Amino acid sequence: MLFRDAFKTATRSLMHGKMRSILTMLGIVIGIASVIILMSIGQSAQGLILGQVESIGSNLIIIIPGAPANGKFSSPAAAQGIVITSLQQRDVDALSREPSIDYAVPEVRGQGDVVYGNNDVTEGFTGSTADFFTVSNLAKVSIGQTFTKSDVDSANHVVVIGPDLAKTLFGPNVNPVDKVIRLKNVSFRVIGVLAKGGTGAFGVDIGNLVVMPITVAQTQLLGINYFNVIVVQANAQYDSAFVKSRVGFILEQDHGITNPNKDDFTIDTQEDILSLLGNITSILTLFLAAIASISLIVGGIGIMNIMLVSVTERTREIGLRKAVGATNRDILEQFLIESVLLTLFGGAIGIAAGAAVVGLVYLGISVFDPSLGWAFAFPISSVILGLVVSGVAGIAFGIYPAQKAGKKNPIDALRYE
Amino acid sequence: MIDLHDLKKEYTEEGETVTQALRGVTFSIEKGEFVSIMGPSGSGKSTLLHILSFLDRPTGGTYTFQGKSIDDMTDQELALVRNKDMGFVFQSFNLLSRLSVYDNVEIPLLYSDIPPKGRQTLVEEAVRAVGLEEKLYTEAAKLSGGQKQRVAIARALVTDPNVIFADEPTGNLDSQSGLQVMEILESLHDKGRTVVLVTHETQTAEFANRIIRIKDGVVESDKKIIANRVHRDLK
Repeated sequence: MLFRDAFKTATRSLMHGKMRSILTMLGIVIGIASVIILMSIGQSAQGLILGQVESIGSNLIIIIPGAPANGKFSSPAAAQGIVITSLQQRDVDALSREPSIDYAVPEVRGQGDVVYGNNDVTEGFTGSTADFFTVSNLAKVSIGQTFTKSDVDSANHVVVIGPDLAKTLFGPNVNPVDKVIRLKNVSFRVIGVLAKGGTGAFGVDIGNLVVMPITVAQTQLLGINYFNVIVVQANAQYDSAFVKSRVGFILEQDHGITNPNKDDFTIDTQEDILSLLGNITSILTLFLAAIASISLIVGGIGIMNIMLVSVTERTREIGLRKAVGATNRDILEQFLIESVLLTLFGGAIGIAAGAAVVGLVYLGISVFDPSLGWAFAFPISSVILGLVVSGVAGIAFGIYPAQKAGKKNPIDALRYE
Repeated sequence: MIDLHDLKKEYTEEGETVTQALRGVTFSIEKGEFVSIMGPSGSGKSTLLHILSFLDRPTGGTYTFQGKSIDDMTDQELALVRNKDMGFVFQSFNLLSRLSVYDNVEIPLLYSDIPPKGRQTLVEEAVRAVGLEEKLYTEAAKLSGGQKQRVAIARALVTDPNVIFADEPTGNLDSQSGLQVMEILESLHDKGRTVVLVTHETQTAEFANRIIRIKDGVVESDKKIIANRVHRDLK
């Protein structure tokens, strides 16, 4: 039997029971649409997360106190809340002297009540040097200015705050500059409001950021002499892996460490973080797609079930076709084509439905939170995957009913009531 | 054309013979004969027709069709012979009701090596031969019983087979429609085709020029007759 004829015969059979065909396809439509939606949204989320990491600055190397974690996905000790005091001012001084490093910016972090008049909010705060704003891509202010090296050296009680916090504390119509706020009962004069708001990398709430000179934060708010993190910006002429090795070498020398396995600090380049985040989001996307594919299996079983019913209902037709010359293979092909057509058509509808949902999600986010920077992603690979998976499902779940049809004895089939 | 020698068909269940449908049937049918196979219910006549038409295999004896033994043929070869050399007319028509007359008649051609372009002429000729050209694109479900059987005959004719097997072709028809169907079979025989008919109706059987009577799985009688064309007038 020519493929053209088999195709025509199969199409005609499916068209004969339109409603049944549509309902049978529904499982595959939902399954493919789910996989497509999760893959596309996963890709958009990955782009968003990686974009945010890239947006914190270029050529960044982050040094955290504590030994590197053993497992790829476990965090270093300092990130788990254990107090480690290994990063000191002498490390920053030594790193600053390295030619391959443009900036070495120490940071300390804490949390406290921020009060202005009757307004009181609990916020995290960061103490750093004047270079913090350059390295973090936060140099732009909407009002006022950022603090200077002189402010840091003199331990001036000044702060730069995020635009959302400014609005919360002062309202929309008050200029926050030169207003005095209290943080952990210490007075600070607001000298600038950041231009950029929203959420930054790692969930940092830039809109509510409170940044003051590190000297004040260490002595007046936290009572510590060590740093929580040192952010290094490598000179663009140097490869980040080289700079990373230089940072390691300098800190080991500084800390008197001879065995690199006993480092009391962890160095991550931006590439390391991007790669780790990329891996995590990819695994997450695949995991979600795998869960969604369960609905594909359910849809496939539905197709097998309906095809088995169809084979039984059309037993006499099978008998007739065999009587007039159809071979087992002809009958098998006819039913297999029907099953593959069902799943392919269902897959195509699923892809279209998936694209529509992904588009709606994009539109929704664009309308309600345009600052998020959510990009529309509809990878062509998911379309190809959708079609291939639906075709394979058609064969996998159609082969058994088709074989059953092909093996029917013509006499028994013709006598079937 | 058809040679049977000591043909047997036994149905077994768990290794034990349950029914002996044919107990040793021997006869030959020459090309161009019109043969009626008669017998009461359970005599084995339908089983015999199924074996003759390659829809079933015997369990003993030999069956040679056009010089080739059924035992030497694979299922695929049997399907090929059924398609090229045999036409079938069933008591219950076995039309696909949702398809048109054209599509029903075309079915055997789908499994032949005739290219799509040549099929239309063959289908139209076959439908014309049974006088249903005005119903060519009518859905089979909308036809009367007699018309359905004529479509079935057109479907049997369309591949220009050497032999037409008809299993109780008038069984589901009124006398007028039955007569029309038998006249078509008779005219096919007149044009040189071999027709093998299974029936339990004497009047229908007498359209043939030979009647083989089967009883309890064996040939009870095998008589050549002068086709009694008077019967149509008697109906």
